[in-house]
Amino acid sequence: MGAPATADYVLVERMARRDERALGELYDRHGGLVYSLALAIVGERADADEVVADALAQAWRTAQDFDAGRGSVGAWLTTITRTRALDLLRARGRRARALTRAAVEDSEGLAAPIAAAGDAPDREVERQDTRRLVARSLAELSEPQRRIIELAYFGGLTQTEIAAELQEPLGTVKTRMRAGLEKLRSSLLPRLSRGES
Amino acid sequence: MTDHQWLELAAPYALGALDHEERIRFEAHLADCATCRAEVHACREVGGLLPYAAPAATPPGALRERVLRAARQVRPIGARRGPVLPWLAAAASIVLALLAGNAYRQERAAREQARRALAAVQDSLGERDSLIATLLSPDATTAALAATGQAPSARLFWSPTRHRVVMAVYRLPPAPAGRTYQLWAIAKGKPVSLGIFNTQPDGRLTAVMGVPPDLAFQVTAVTEEPAGGSPQPTQQPFLIGKVVGD
Repeated sequence: MGAPATADYVLVERMARRDERALGELYDRHGGLVYSLALAIVGERADADEVVADALAQAWRTAQDFDAGRGSVGAWLTTITRTRALDLLRARGRRARALTRAAVEDSEGLAAPIAAAGDAPDREVERQDTRRLVARSLAELSEPQRRIIELAYFGGLTQTEIAAELQEPLGTVKTRMRAGLEKLRSSLLPRLSRGES
Repeated sequence: MTDHQWLELAAPYALGALDHEERIRFEAHLADCATCRAEVHACREVGGLLPYAAPAATPPGALRERVLRAARQVRPIGARRGPVLPWLAAAASIVLALLAGNAYRQERAAREQARRALAAVQDSLGERDSLIATLLSPDATTAALAATGQAPSARLFWSPTRHRVVMAVYRLPPAPAGRTYQLWAIAKGKPVSLGIFNTQPDGRLTAVMGVPPDLAFQVTAVTEEPAGGSPQPTQQPFLIGKVVGD
């Protein structure tokens, strides 16, 4: 995999110095991922636009606080985006897409469709690899395990709320969430940057 | 709870799926448990890949310009250049204030008092061994953290040899839902997180937190952060204190 011309964190450093071109480049690299994430949570394209614009404005505002030692730029951006997306839903009193989506009609879960996003070619290859690995890892979970993890991550629900949503005992939800994440961890091991530090 | 039961909370915590009360209890535990902290870290890494499970969607072409336009309207926080946080200047001035007067003698008296009080309850605090050990270690230094206003205060005991701090907080209401308090060590002008914590409903907390072995710091500060804590402070600290040695 060819090294990119400029590392992500260098772009963030430039953003901290108010270099707008760096923000544009960061958007070109990660816009597809954060937009997909926002849309998966809020369900409406207009809302996803708003979430992404807000999230990147927050990244722009707080670029000087980013610490490369604590995680990747991508993880930083997706964390901001997820929080913003769930906030938007709460503010509007709406439910996340992961909850409104009928489980039956889409039994493959959120991970099913793998389409080409418009990212730079090198990164796109790497991104597709990661997408495939994550999709495969999720597909290896039992349907209830996958659903529970989706409801937590994409729906922003607590274990208690998930139990109510699925009308399952809380203990069952807890066990499945833990087992599901544990299984994901072992199958995603190749993509996890640092070990058990 | 047993160690095993605590550890089971790491996955739901990393996914943000613990209920409020449970989350608060777990965060208090995290302050004292490196095993659980490592487990949370590992689970967060897994969670960090979940965005890739979202169906790939192509953002509308106009979104790029909207993002850039939104950024132009944003007033940047703090300094224009470099990672120096604006509140370090404030921290420095409070440090000077603490050094003035007989702060040192007061520190020592307060520490003696704390030592005696804690020694008295040592027997009943078997599970808090490391807390006691840190407080009683010969090299322990302390910092009194003062608020800019009045109410909350905190005292910090730091044992460099044990790589631990013990923090005692008073009159600090628990952080609101979805928020947590975070303790920072300011080392060479850069904030390093020592951990997150929350107070009991009565506004008190005594917690042990780990300190990276090579970290030397002179100033500590407390900020309020989103649940789970932040890699870097996102707010001005409301408690700041200077470390005072023997």
